[in-house]
Amino acid sequence: MKTIVASCLLAISTLAAHAEYEQVNLTVFGMDCAPCAHAIHVSMKGIQGVNTVDVDLNTGLVSIKLTPGNSAAMRQFNEAVEKNGFTHKDADVLVRGQLSGSAQAPFLEVTGTNDRYALTPVAAGTDLSGLLGKTVVVDGVLPQSGKGKVSGTLRYKSATEAK
Amino acid sequence: MKYRMVFACAVFATGTAFAADHGPVFSYATPVNSERELSFDTGIFGRNGSRGTQLSTGSGFGYGVTPHLTVNVFLPASFGSGDLPESRMMSGGEWSTGASWRFLHSVTSVGKRIESTASLGLVVPGPQQDSGVLGSLHRAPGVAGTVATGLASRSQYLWFGGGYTRFAEAAKDRRPDTLSWSAVYGYRPSRLRRGYDQWDYRGFAELTGEHTGAVRSGGVILPDSSSTSVWLGPSVLAIFKDVAIEGGVQAPLFRDASESVYGRERIRFAINLSYLKYSSHTSSH
Repeated sequence: MKTIVASCLLAISTLAAHAEYEQVNLTVFGMDCAPCAHAIHVSMKGIQGVNTVDVDLNTGLVSIKLTPGNSAAMRQFNEAVEKNGFTHKDADVLVRGQLSGSAQAPFLEVTGTNDRYALTPVAAGTDLSGLLGKTVVVDGVLPQSGKGKVSGTLRYKSATEAK
Repeated sequence: MKYRMVFACAVFATGTAFAADHGPVFSYATPVNSERELSFDTGIFGRNGSRGTQLSTGSGFGYGVTPHLTVNVFLPASFGSGDLPESRMMSGGEWSTGASWRFLHSVTSVGKRIESTASLGLVVPGPQQDSGVLGSLHRAPGVAGTVATGLASRSQYLWFGGGYTRFAEAAKDRRPDTLSWSAVYGYRPSRLRRGYDQWDYRGFAELTGEHTGAVRSGGVILPDSSSTSVWLGPSVLAIFKDVAIEGGVQAPLFRDASESVYGRERIRFAINLSYLKYSSHTSSH
C-alpha cells in the first residue's frame, strides 16, 4: 500500500514539475505612462516563478518569461493587471501540460495549478490524438476574459510532445 | 450637530482630487492609486500678491484600497502671509482627509482610457492661523467634494473638474464657501513616448478658476469679501519609475477681488515631489 501511495505521489510530483507556463505575452489596455508600466512590472515580478518582465507601452504588450518548475497560474497574471486598474486582452502563451480528453475534445491540464483548458485549433486539420495522455508543450492564444476570470478555451497554434 | 454631520460625511470619504503624482499640479484629474499602492507627496505651493507671499508645504499620503478607491490624507503647513482670498485649488493651512472613487473607467484601446473620479472628504483647520481677513475668524471643519472626468492616453490628456467646499460655523464666524473648477490639456511629444525604464515627461496647460463666497465674522457678512479669479499656466511632469517631480506656474486671466480686503494676487506656483510605492503582492492560486 505504501509503495502504491509513494508511486502516486511521485507521479503527481513529476507531472507538477513538468507542467507550467513558460512564456506569457499579455496585451494590456489603458496604460498611458511609465508609472503604469512600472506598476505592472512590479506586480508581475511579485508572482512566484516569474523570471523576466518587459512592458512595451506603445503596443501594450507585457512579455513574461518564467523559470522552469514554476506553479504560477494564469489568474495571477490577470489579477496583476486588474489591481492596477487596467484591462487584459488576449494572451499568447507557451505552456506545458498534460493532454487529456479525447481527439475530438482535448483538454490541457496545467498540473501544479488549477488551470485546465479546452483546446481548439487556430487552423483546421490539426490532430492531437497521438499526443493524448502525454506531456505536451502548447503554443496558443487565450482569448480575453472578464474581470477575475480566465478563459476556459486555449486556441492552439501548435502542440508538440515535451522532451 | 453640525460637526457630527461633517464628520459623518467624512467617513464616506476626500478633500481634493489633485493627482500630482500622475497628473497636473494645480487642476483636478482622475488618476487614483492602484490596489495596495502607497503614494507620498510633498511640495511647495506659493501665492504671491501685493501684500506678500504665502507659501504652503506639507505631506500627502494616499493608499489604494482597491484599483478604483484611494484614501488620502494631506497635512500641510503654511508660512508667510499674503492676506489672500480663500482657495481650495492651492494648498493652504487646512488638513484634509478623505477618499477618491473612480466610478467610471472605460478602457478603449492600448494606452487610452476615459474615466471619472469623485472625491469627498473632511477639511479641518491646521495648527496655523491664516493671515488677513481669514486670520481673524474662528475656524471650523468643512466638507469638500470634487468630480473630475477626462481622457488619458499616450499622446494627450484632457481633464475637466469641479469642486465645492463648505465650512461649518464657529462662534458666528464662517469661512467662505468655495466653488472651484479646472480644465487641463496635456501632451507628450512622440519622441518622448518611450520605454518605462526612461524618464517620462509630459506638459500641461492648466486653466483653473475659483469663486469664494462672502466671509462671515461675528454673524455679519463682511462687505467685498467674496472673490472670483481665473488662472492659466503651464506645468511639466517628469516621472521615473516610482519617483515623480512636477512644477508649474499660473498667472491670472481674470480677477474680481477687493484690493482693499485682499490685495492683488499676481502669481501662483507649485513644485511637487512624489514617491509611488507599488505593491508586488499577488494572491496564490
